Amino acid sequence: MPEVSNVYDEMSAWDNLVFAAELYGVPRSERGERAAELLKLFGLYERREDKVGNFSKGMKRRLTIAAALIHKPRIVFLDEPTTGLDVQSSRVIRALLKKLNESGVTIFLTTHYIEEADQLCQRIAIINQGKIVALDSPEKLKAKAEEQHVVEVSFSPSKDVEHQLKDLKYVSGVSRVGDKFRLYVEDASEAIPMLIDFCRRNNLKIVSINTLKPSLEDAFVKITGLSPEVMAIEKEHAKKGESLG
Amino acid sequence: MARTWIQSLIKAFYIAKKDAKVYYFKAPNFTYGLLMPVSLFIAFSIAGQINSSLIVSGLTSLVILFGTTSIEAVAVVLEKQTGTFERLLTAPVSFFTILFGKALAGLFFGLVLATAVLVPLTVISRTFIANPLLVFIAITFSSLTFSALGVLISAYAKWVPEAQMLSNFLRFPMAFLSGTFLPLELLPSQLGIIARFLPLTYSVEALRISINDSAPTITYLVDILILALFSFILLVAGSKVLQRRLE
Repeated sequence: MPEVSNVYDEMSAWDNLVFAAELYGVPRSERGERAAELLKLFGLYERREDKVGNFSKGMKRRLTIAAALIHKPRIVFLDEPTTGLDVQSSRVIRALLKKLNESGVTIFLTTHYIEEADQLCQRIAIINQGKIVALDSPEKLKAKAEEQHVVEVSFSPSKDVEHQLKDLKYVSGVSRVGDKFRLYVEDASEAIPMLIDFCRRNNLKIVSINTLKPSLEDAFVKITGLSPEVMAIEKEHAKKGESLG
Repeated sequence: MARTWIQSLIKAFYIAKKDAKVYYFKAPNFTYGLLMPVSLFIAFSIAGQINSSLIVSGLTSLVILFGTTSIEAVAVVLEKQTGTFERLLTAPVSFFTILFGKALAGLFFGLVLATAVLVPLTVISRTFIANPLLVFIAITFSSLTFSALGVLISAYAKWVPEAQMLSNFLRFPMAFLSGTFLPLELLPSQLGIIARFLPLTYSVEALRISINDSAPTITYLVDILILALFSFILLVAGSKVLQRRLE
């Protein structure tokens, strides 16, 4: 299934699925039953007679996935299934993918959303510059980044102190996540007192401070060698895509 | 082997049915397919005093040519642009079957267009059709051939305007060189030779014979055979072009 929904806008949801069934050689007697089953599973049954042109992006994406499943494949290739969708639609699709996987379908998912891969995948291959640089379960990948600690902090007043934070001792990298800063440090116990001292000097109040377990994203950064800044930019782009949907 | 062929044929029919639903049978498609050749023909028939069987065969062939090539340009190129063509490419269907399905939809469209022209035209011009079955067969093969031509063009083109431009590049010279407005015998000999390489020539000829003769002549049968051959070659060429374009 491609990144862009490629169902026929001029046809109804029902006709789209029946056409997919015809192309894949699903026996005539099973087409209707299978289409109804998928439309119900994907929450589109009530709109089955409506033209797809009137559907939202999320609904079209669901229908595209449904069309890919019409012939009961044992393996499905999904390319960025949630790109450009709103949060609600993305969550619905992720839940559906989980359900599909539980029903025995192997899903080969390509995604730029690291959290999505973390939530959905049992095995993850990280591709950097066209080559697989790591292939393991999410937890095992995270373990590879464990020597690096992450301290997440937010300040009041909210100021752009990213560059000053970068210059602090023990800090190897900083990324901004919303109103918070993520500091990549070797030892959190040394970094936190230094951070408190930094706040005092700059008249900042700490609103929240957390030490985070390395995320899959941290593992990704470590494995690929991409800087947290580049990751942050990519993430912002991804979020923009999601909220625009 | 035979089973695979039948399955491919059935899938081509499904593609044709889908195309008919999605792209064809909308008012603008009919108007362009009809208006352009009708206007051309009226202009020439007024100037040239063309006889009625020439009018009926020439105009019907032109309508099929313009109608089917125009719609094929939209049906294939638009699908490539919107991404829905991927749906067909990823399905277990060969390139040839996809393009044959597209041409099949064009064939039905051509039949409808030709009927829309032929019936009023025979009534108005008081032309007696000697063998309607032969006319039907000639129209069917003409429609398939011109649809296949449209399919080949749109397999190559990236945008609808490019496909339309290429279609016009072929359609207009064909319209003048294929004995549509003027019997082939009256054309200079060199042009007469060129005309034999153009599918429209065989379409016009087959239609003219079927209007005048109640039994199929050898020329008629050869015309139909050549149209079938043109269809096959154009579709095979279309499949190759598409494959190259997608690489």
